[in-house]
Amino acid sequence: MTATEDRVALDQWYALGAMQDFRAGEEAVTRLLGEDVRIRCSTGGDIAVTAGTRKLPIRTDYGHLWTSLGSPARPVFDLPESREPDRRAVHCGPVRVRASGLRLIENFLDLAHFPYVHSDILGTEERPEVARYEVEQRRDVDELWATKCEFFQPKAAAAAAGGQISKYMYRVVTPFNVMLYKTAPTASDRWDVIALFVQPLEPALSIAHPFMLVIDDTSTDAELIGFQQMIFLQDKIVLENQRPLLLPLQPGRETPTRADLSSVLYRRWLKEKQWRFGVEEPTAIA
Amino acid sequence: MTNEWVPLALGKDVPAETTRAVIVEDRELVIWRGADGQAHVWTDRCPHRGMRLSLGFVRDNALNCLYHGWSYAGGGACQRIPAHPDLNVPASIRAGVHAAAEAGGMIWSRSGDQEAALPELPDGTPVCSLMIDADHATILAVAAPEIRLTGVQLFSLRHAGADIHIGWHKVQAGKTMLHAVAEGGTAEAALLLLRDLRTKAEGRAAA
Repeated sequence: MTATEDRVALDQWYALGAMQDFRAGEEAVTRLLGEDVRIRCSTGGDIAVTAGTRKLPIRTDYGHLWTSLGSPARPVFDLPESREPDRRAVHCGPVRVRASGLRLIENFLDLAHFPYVHSDILGTEERPEVARYEVEQRRDVDELWATKCEFFQPKAAAAAAGGQISKYMYRVVTPFNVMLYKTAPTASDRWDVIALFVQPLEPALSIAHPFMLVIDDTSTDAELIGFQQMIFLQDKIVLENQRPLLLPLQPGRETPTRADLSSVLYRRWLKEKQWRFGVEEPTAIA
Repeated sequence: MTNEWVPLALGKDVPAETTRAVIVEDRELVIWRGADGQAHVWTDRCPHRGMRLSLGFVRDNALNCLYHGWSYAGGGACQRIPAHPDLNVPASIRAGVHAAAEAGGMIWSRSGDQEAALPELPDGTPVCSLMIDADHATILAVAAPEIRLTGVQLFSLRHAGADIHIGWHKVQAGKTMLHAVAEGGTAEAALLLLRDLRTKAEGRAAA
């Protein structure tokens, strides 16, 4: 696979992993948008990221290493919850998935799969209904929001004692970075944040870097990580078996319903951006 | 696939209320059987989000997608979208249904819209399905001269007092799946014959 010519995709920031995973004196090679990317961490802890002979820009926001193969017009998106001192930052990845990163984001935005893919954890077949929620494209900040989402969950989080109606909000900040805000099981007036940073290696190969900022003083890190990894591995089974592996944008290729409002808006937003990386070629109509 | 009936699996390998994924000429299909015993051959893709239906689950006489539980009746029509329990599902939401039939211990399908006769086969003892890394012409060539061509995608071999009926389908270039049913003889003898056929065919294909 060769490097992409998708300018919009190139001019974005991408997470390459949690800072804690890059150790002093070590070197790692990964992929980004079809190109080899080399990460060198000096013995003094200084990090350099290169693609071929090119030195790439780096950022270290939210405990992650970010880079870009192009020239991002904006800094890495703001995540205000990262400045709240009582939140715990927990890294739950990486998870490698043989699918378009756009499919990963869309799956993350989806409520209707909870009773089937995460049976008796995030949903139950007895209560599969997705109530009407609201979606919005905030043009001033170029973000997508889904709000007033509610779903009955038998075990909403690692610390959940029993079933509850969970409230969700979703915030899509770039085509490959999304946050979900969810009723905190131990603090009813605040929201846990679960972020999904997707590193697109190839059009149909991705690494998910799930990251949590939670208000939970009862679960251990291992419990939180174990819970999220179980959820992500269940999603991986679905994602690797969707056809095509790339995200189709042309109408008629798939069948959205009212529960898919987030997905409909996300796909419209990608079209508006003329986004191509991870998208099915329109000529591939079966 | 052509207008002819093509054998895709042994009937015994798709018990009631299960699914089986098959690849036919690079296309992903799902075979599934309802509680009523009826076998179905569909495109292995839910029209909602493209999820492979072979990972789904059969309940009674409906195939349900693993991703969101969309439920499809035997005729292919989606009858229930669990996220919207009160929705009268539009008739346009349908799985891709292919013609399916069972004969001689095998499940057959065809993609053409003209009528075609199913091969006439006695009800033998199903042996197994076997993948061979060779195209069908190579397999037929190594089986000659004992071979009797008995259908478009069917041949028979006489071996150790038994007639072994072998249906085949092309999986992809250089890969063929055989489905064997024995009339008389033992399953062990038929299995040995098939393994021998595989060894010879793969040897010639690799040469």
